[in-house]
Amino acid sequence: MPSLAVETKDIRKCFGDLCAVNNVNITVDNGEFFGFLGPNGAGKSTLIRMLTTVLKPTSGTAKVAGFDIVKEPGDVRRAIGVVPQTMSSDLDLTGRENMDIYGRFYEVPKKLRLKRTKELLEKVNLENKADDLVATYSGGMRRRLDIARVLVHRPEILFLDEPTAGLDPQSRRAVWDMLQSFRKEAELTIFLTTHYMDEAETLCGRVAIIDHGSIITKGTPDELKAAIPGNDIVVLNIEGDGEKALDAAGKEPYVHKANMDNSELRCYVDNGGDDAPLLMQAMGRLGVKVGSVAIQKQTLEDVFIHHTGRSIREEETRKVSMLLGAGVPQKWGR
Amino acid sequence: MIMAVLMPIVYLVILGNSFQGKLKGLPVAVVNLDTGEYGRRVTETLTALQIGPETITVTRLADQTEAVEGVKDGLYKGAVIVPTDFTRRVNMKTGPEVGIFVDNTDQISENTLSGAITEAVGALRHDFNPVRPDRSVITARRVELYKSVDYDQTLVPGVVVMAIFMGTMITGVFNLVMDRFLGVDEAILMTPLTKADIVVGLVVSGFVITLAMAAIVLVASSWLTGLTLSNWLVQGTESMVVMALATLGLLSLMFLLMGRANHPRIMGVFSGFLNVIFFFPSGAVYPVQSFPGWLRKFALVNPEYYAVHALKSILFKAAPLSVVYGDILFLTGFTAVTMTLAVVTFKRTL
Repeated sequence: MPSLAVETKDIRKCFGDLCAVNNVNITVDNGEFFGFLGPNGAGKSTLIRMLTTVLKPTSGTAKVAGFDIVKEPGDVRRAIGVVPQTMSSDLDLTGRENMDIYGRFYEVPKKLRLKRTKELLEKVNLENKADDLVATYSGGMRRRLDIARVLVHRPEILFLDEPTAGLDPQSRRAVWDMLQSFRKEAELTIFLTTHYMDEAETLCGRVAIIDHGSIITKGTPDELKAAIPGNDIVVLNIEGDGEKALDAAGKEPYVHKANMDNSELRCYVDNGGDDAPLLMQAMGRLGVKVGSVAIQKQTLEDVFIHHTGRSIREEETRKVSMLLGAGVPQKWGR
Repeated sequence: MIMAVLMPIVYLVILGNSFQGKLKGLPVAVVNLDTGEYGRRVTETLTALQIGPETITVTRLADQTEAVEGVKDGLYKGAVIVPTDFTRRVNMKTGPEVGIFVDNTDQISENTLSGAITEAVGALRHDFNPVRPDRSVITARRVELYKSVDYDQTLVPGVVVMAIFMGTMITGVFNLVMDRFLGVDEAILMTPLTKADIVVGLVVSGFVITLAMAAIVLVASSWLTGLTLSNWLVQGTESMVVMALATLGLLSLMFLLMGRANHPRIMGVFSGFLNVIFFFPSGAVYPVQSFPGWLRKFALVNPEYYAVHALKSILFKAAPLSVVYGDILFLTGFTAVTMTLAVVTFKRTL
């Protein structure tokens, strides 16, 4: 087995003048659960498509399971399982038939295929619906089937592109539990892209944050959060002059850093319990009305804000507005 | 935009040239067994038809069996046999006759041929007494080589081939185009399936459905038109062989043409256009001999032409497969070439 599951060297993908992935360098160890976090349009799906050989890079190289993605695509495909962002199970077949046909694509012998299909359908709690048409499945069920399907041939590396996008919280949690269980049992390397920071924090051993095609920072979630000044974040909902409030908060000696996110003033402090009342007093002296106050622990969202000055949510809204305004169809970036 | 402008023009050109025009160049074998003057004059008159209005092209043969077999094999549209005692009968005024052996399964050609030859031969006349039957008038007796076929029945092969074409537009590569449009084709591209696996797999899946459709159309159209076969099992099996080859060929061609389309609307736009340029020059509705030279040349590379020709031979003449070897050979070669090109040109990445 190669020492690294995934390795990229200055990999780049440009569509005309737009570079969706710009000189990305990452390594993923065997058995690791690696996450790629960023807003929509950051380049996550483009990168995963290159690594899974359905898109040729403009320049740079990458190896997956020790095989070059351009020179040895067939070997790469045999070693991986991929759950693309769009649910791809065939609606006209049953769950069992979907599993079976996928196993045939990977030339899994019949006896083994049947055995694994049964086991996997039980593990994803679809054994009772296995012989129903996929068209009757809910979104969560389809996603669970997509994941089970790509494990029939026991891949070395599992790629998941936004696996819980569009799912309700309960289904998301079920998918998380499933992935963690599969990884433990099969010693699977998992490469996941997501724009949900809670997903990245919960599942991933290491995370790379990407924006506009470039990696901003990478490391374990704790390492990334430790790089942000302070331990807590005091969040004030400002109902008055936000600029004035931001300016004043930035001048307080116990505030390492402050920024405004819509009407939320986020102040990075060492001890939220002690510093929150001080901030309230400061706002009171200014005459700025505060609607609510909360103390939060740092998240990967804060890491993103720290590096880019914008939140992931704000970035998604801005990008969607730009795309809709430009009349760009949903498949932009493909 | 460009296709929207070109399509009406192509429709006009193809349809206009498919249905108009006098038949020209109908191949006719002439056997003159007579040694006298009038036998020679019949031959000269037919040659004049070739040079002047170009209705026929004459091939002189010495053996009448060869001539008639040539009609059966499809080499000629008709054979004119001048009997050995023709000149004597003309001189003796004992009802001289020239035999015209015709391929009556092709009604339009047959009518043109019979009419032109009868008229030309009938011009060679003696003086006659109108009170009694004029036994000096030279007549041509029409001999039908096959069972009579109504015009609507002659359209059955064309309808079957059109059904095959329609099937190729909604199966095979269409599934790939839909998957691509819905964004689910990635799931296939990420598997170890090779280009050949994907192309051949989709073609074969389309083959099964399309061939079934064509078989249903063959049975239904035969029933509707009252077409009966002397041996349903043999002729049915032979027809299925031809239909199978035509299906594979057209499915492979569609894959080659549409393999990179990413919207089902593209296939919809092309379907009407391709149907016109393949169907009407196939000879299904009107003989290829009525087409201008450039359209006849196109017919030679049109797989539907060979499929229609083979089906007509099998259904109307009860011809064995050996008679349509040329058609089968072309369809087989066409399938091999188009399928190979479809695999080679298929793009295995997004």
